[in-house]
Amino acid sequence: MKCLLIASESAEMLFYWTDSEFQQNIQKQYGASQEEGHEVFPAFEDSISTLFAPIIISFSTMVTEADSYTSFTTENNHIYVLHQFDECLYIAVNGDGEEKEEDLRRKIYVMNKMIEVLFGMVTLSGNLLRKLRARDTEQRLRLWKHLQSLLETYSHLQENDQSFLVEAVERLIHPTLCEQCIEFLERRLVQQINSSVERGGEEVLHAFILVHTKLLAFYSRNASILSTSDLLALIIMAQNMYPSNVDVDDPSPEDIDSTSGSGHESFYTPEPSPTDKDSSSSKPVRGSTPVFEFVDPDIQMAEDSLSTLEVYPPDPATPHKVFLEVSQKDGLYPMMPHSMYCLKLWPGITLVLLTKFPHSGVAMSVYTFWEAFAKLEKRLNEGQGGSTRGQPMHEVRSKLDKFLKTLALNGIQSSQLQNVWTEFKNRAFSRGGPGFSRLILWCKNMKTQLCGIYRQCFLSDSGPDDTPRHLSPGLRERAQTMVEQLMDWKDFLLVKSKRNITMVYLEDFPGLVHFICVDRSSGQMIAPSLSITERTTSELGKGPVAQYIKNKMWSLVSTTRHYLQKGYSTLTLRDGDFYFCYFLWFENETGFKLEAKDIPIMPDDSAPIGMLAQNHYKLLRYYNKNHPGETVKCYELLTVHLGVIPTEIILQHCRQLASKLWEPSRNPLL
Amino acid sequence: MAELLQPDSRMCNYFFLYDGSKVRGEADPTRDGICYFYPEETPLDKQELLCGQLAGVGRCVSELSSSPARTLRLRRNKFAIRMKDDFFWALGCSVDVPTVSVSEFLDQLIDLFCFYNGPVRQSYQLNSQETLAAQWARYLSHLQSGSSELSHIFSCLKTIDSTNVDPLLLLKAALILQACQRCPLVLAGCILFRGRVVSTQMSPGLTMKVMIHESETYTKAQRPNGTSASSSFSGTVSSTTVFLTAPELQDLQSAPVDKGFSCPTTPQRDGPSKKTRLSRTLSDTPPPESQVSNPSLSKPPQKASLSPRLSDSDVFSPASSHSAANSFNPSPQSLRFLSNGENTVEDEAEESRSRDSTGGRSQIRSEGDGSVFEEDSHLNGGEGEGAFGGVFEFQAVESGNEQPHDDKVVEEDSRVSRGSVSGHKAGKSDPPPLLPPPHRLSDASEENALIPMTLYMHRVKGLVLALLVEPHFMSDATSMEEVYHSSLASLNGLEAHLRTISPGAPGGPGPYTFAHFDCIQSTLTTNLSGRSGGAWDQPFVRATSLLHSHFCNTETLQEAIIRNASTAVYGTRSVAQETYFQQNGGSLRNSGIPNHQDSAFSLPSKARHRLLKHGVNLL
Repeated sequence: MKCLLIASESAEMLFYWTDSEFQQNIQKQYGASQEEGHEVFPAFEDSISTLFAPIIISFSTMVTEADSYTSFTTENNHIYVLHQFDECLYIAVNGDGEEKEEDLRRKIYVMNKMIEVLFGMVTLSGNLLRKLRARDTEQRLRLWKHLQSLLETYSHLQENDQSFLVEAVERLIHPTLCEQCIEFLERRLVQQINSSVERGGEEVLHAFILVHTKLLAFYSRNASILSTSDLLALIIMAQNMYPSNVDVDDPSPEDIDSTSGSGHESFYTPEPSPTDKDSSSSKPVRGSTPVFEFVDPDIQMAEDSLSTLEVYPPDPATPHKVFLEVSQKDGLYPMMPHSMYCLKLWPGITLVLLTKFPHSGVAMSVYTFWEAFAKLEKRLNEGQGGSTRGQPMHEVRSKLDKFLKTLALNGIQSSQLQNVWTEFKNRAFSRGGPGFSRLILWCKNMKTQLCGIYRQCFLSDSGPDDTPRHLSPGLRERAQTMVEQLMDWKDFLLVKSKRNITMVYLEDFPGLVHFICVDRSSGQMIAPSLSITERTTSELGKGPVAQYIKNKMWSLVSTTRHYLQKGYSTLTLRDGDFYFCYFLWFENETGFKLEAKDIPIMPDDSAPIGMLAQNHYKLLRYYNKNHPGETVKCYELLTVHLGVIPTEIILQHCRQLASKLWEPSRNPLL
Repeated sequence: MAELLQPDSRMCNYFFLYDGSKVRGEADPTRDGICYFYPEETPLDKQELLCGQLAGVGRCVSELSSSPARTLRLRRNKFAIRMKDDFFWALGCSVDVPTVSVSEFLDQLIDLFCFYNGPVRQSYQLNSQETLAAQWARYLSHLQSGSSELSHIFSCLKTIDSTNVDPLLLLKAALILQACQRCPLVLAGCILFRGRVVSTQMSPGLTMKVMIHESETYTKAQRPNGTSASSSFSGTVSSTTVFLTAPELQDLQSAPVDKGFSCPTTPQRDGPSKKTRLSRTLSDTPPPESQVSNPSLSKPPQKASLSPRLSDSDVFSPASSHSAANSFNPSPQSLRFLSNGENTVEDEAEESRSRDSTGGRSQIRSEGDGSVFEEDSHLNGGEGEGAFGGVFEFQAVESGNEQPHDDKVVEEDSRVSRGSVSGHKAGKSDPPPLLPPPHRLSDASEENALIPMTLYMHRVKGLVLALLVEPHFMSDATSMEEVYHSSLASLNGLEAHLRTISPGAPGGPGPYTFAHFDCIQSTLTTNLSGRSGGAWDQPFVRATSLLHSHFCNTETLQEAIIRNASTAVYGTRSVAQETYFQQNGGSLRNSGIPNHQDSAFSLPSKARHRLLKHGVNLL
């Protein structure tokens, strides 16, 4: 019995997802109050929002009292976890004992991450995000269905895939093939596309090949980095589009009940080229916006919803807009717009290209201004109003004036922003300015307006450039060559993805049952495959035994996270017939082991430890830095041994694994 | 054992009881439903906010999940919740306290209230809100009194420091209790000295409940139930009505073979599993009275007013002179069950209730040594005099090598025992039906029943003999006199001895810190000195709290080592105990990479060796 919902502060349901059991349960409760035999269920959406409304309202009441709910439990072990992101309250429920509180909290954070990836900076404005709840029922259901299916895909991966368990990317370990593919991606794909004329301003930044959830090859242009968090989110999206049933052994054709509906077509038998059917249906009403008078800026923006997002592109070559972190020399820009092309080479093997938007500079400017106003708001809230007219704001002033002119030149509707900005300037820069509280309000308005510009540019069809599809034809050809290139390797790869590493080195480590090793600086993990299907026999045996080990592993990871949250970086447990170890340590670039430092102790309701939603290890690495600018690497090792093995031997194994795994020359697994 | 006292370590931030039945309509103000709110000085607005919001959310969650809410957690406080009928209890603690401990604390508090006041709904009908508020406040302060951070984690009994006490004194205390039990109206008892347990025949939970009465007797003028003093016994005897749950009563009535009847601290010396059976008739051979008459043991009390609580006028104010015994005198059958809505049945209730008392007894018998118990069972089986089973078991006060001797005594005495028991019975002219028939107890409809019993207390300066007795014991002059006189001299002697024992000096911060919790007897042994606030204490308590929660939630977990940059703590547990160990000082620093030279991994062997001298056996 599971549920996840997002509600606005006014208890409006912005999104919900439930499993069928939860739905039945709600309907039963609602049915009970109806007359007997005459069970007319009200719309499920209404029931669920009525039932949760008291909790949501009480949450807001308590927030004003400077304390807020984080979780509830009941006697029959149902768990409720609550978390607020800006103005949206997320509630996750579990009633079947399959998830613990931490799991629910993680789910909430991941859901928030997925929404950020899909909507970018719009998530920073509660008023805009409210449009998750589109007025048009059909549109709303379509968007919700998409989010629901993403959430289900994530849950499935989190429960079954080791790389999503520890939130690090798993690579297919085959150095030769890997190198060949990277070379191909670079020379034959990225370079050629980027030099072709038909790209129309788009530029491929990253290209990678996934075999199921595992990374075969990754190529990035320039020095730009794709963060692990974003990469994991993209893998979830790719899996959602082309679900691979990991329980099936032989790579079968797409399952019929695939959630994406685009499963039937393979890339190399292309369907008729797509037309611009989407954009025509929701053509922008650019000219029809009434002349700005001072109205609540949100009201106007609330009229249209996040329309482009709800329709899943019918053609695989149609890109998705995704909003990813970009790190540049002058700073970190979260949620910058990209296009994601996701092409299925074979069932189970996917090619993903990420391209830069032609006008992504606007996004950076918008974010810079947004950040400036957010900082100002924070300062004002803390009562340091004096710096309002300080240097930074004057700089923002001139830049923003210029920016507004640029927007106008590019035909971007910015009159609302212009008006709010004028008003803000009047208040902020005039002598004897207004009280802080008024200025805080205007900061908020500015932020909302900036998000509105962002949305206009990147999330609606009325952006400055039409949805880029220029790459499609050329991309098909390139991908076709990729298909040919990989033809001989296809079956090998699909099998390899199931049995990436097997425990063939048992004689070296007697008594070792399983391990996971994670490099948190690169966001990669190595672990023997846990095959738990009936048909395959792995070294762990098959069926129940492997399932048992798997369950132990999952619970061990959650335990170690709990202790890590409380500041413990080493842990050993004797549990039943097994002995578990967990180690976390830091090294500098040359491999020198840094002395352990006390790591911060987090409250129970802090962000989940991992890399997908928030990179906790980045924080840890920061704490371990002795000198600024120093690169600190962070590693984790989890092992499971049989309980009868003497502790000294176990520690020796751990030490060997820790020192050898990341050195290709000495890696016993290669 | 060092005194675990920290002045500012109160566990509970908020506690309230909210009666939803008083706030039904839209117009009813929330304050009408607030039965009790702690801290009492909280502004009413804040009280209303917390009660209203938490009760509302609790109710909403209960409806969604079709099950009462258990915990509501906020960012700064965590609340354990109990919901029963229209009552809503919430106990708010700091988020650092383990959830299991908070829930346990709330259960204890509610149980304590029901123990002295009976069913909640009923007591709110009979008594004013102010009177009961005083009760809640007292129980709350009692449960928190002298608590250290460790005792927030483990709810444990306070016992006398057995390392300073001559084991013979503990034996003596046990014998006094056994002697009292010879009276068929006495169910079980315990002996307390200055707020600490010397010896008990009751379960830890029940002992804990009984203990509060001792600290309470001086404020008894406010007691609603009325503590009565029996004028014939020189003003040192008092009694009050208490309410037992059906499983508690059943436990007391079933054969005591099941339970550890001794000073809870002794097994730590001898190992928990070493048990010796002693026939109660052992006490016949050297009667306690004669033992005390030995001049060397019974020194006359030197300081008559050792403790202010002994002031007679204070203890027996006229206001409470109406006798509880009178109000609950006739026809025990009619009084036995006060059916009510309160669920004070603990989790284990189902289990213990499922075996009826007779069956349960014979089952236990069959596990014991045959010769004694076979003979015994036919004596007790049909009679239903569970508490009067003739055979007692208690954990050896002597060290284990005396066991063969004791066994022999048991066998020899079993015949005598039978004789004495029947003789005693024959001597009583008309024993009233002591107990309800077993099937009544397992009747499902009586699940929430609270059975009124009487708590009898005999105070000798700092020493208190507390007995749970049948309600009509207080009106049975013969029995009362018998119990009083048979124990008086021994109590005097015991008190004199205990008084001379000087408390052990609190040890300074040693090279290691440990805590050993006996889950069966709810006792805690530790060298953690709460007052010194040593640099190593805080990390130790934090680690212990985490590990204890982990042990509670993971049945299969046997031992764990957790380590951060500066400290490492080892925890191990078995069915009977949990032990935590930390090495203080020394350099732990290393990189955190697996390293067999890391001193953290030598903790298990160090703990094994170091703790032996504290009577903790981890081998």
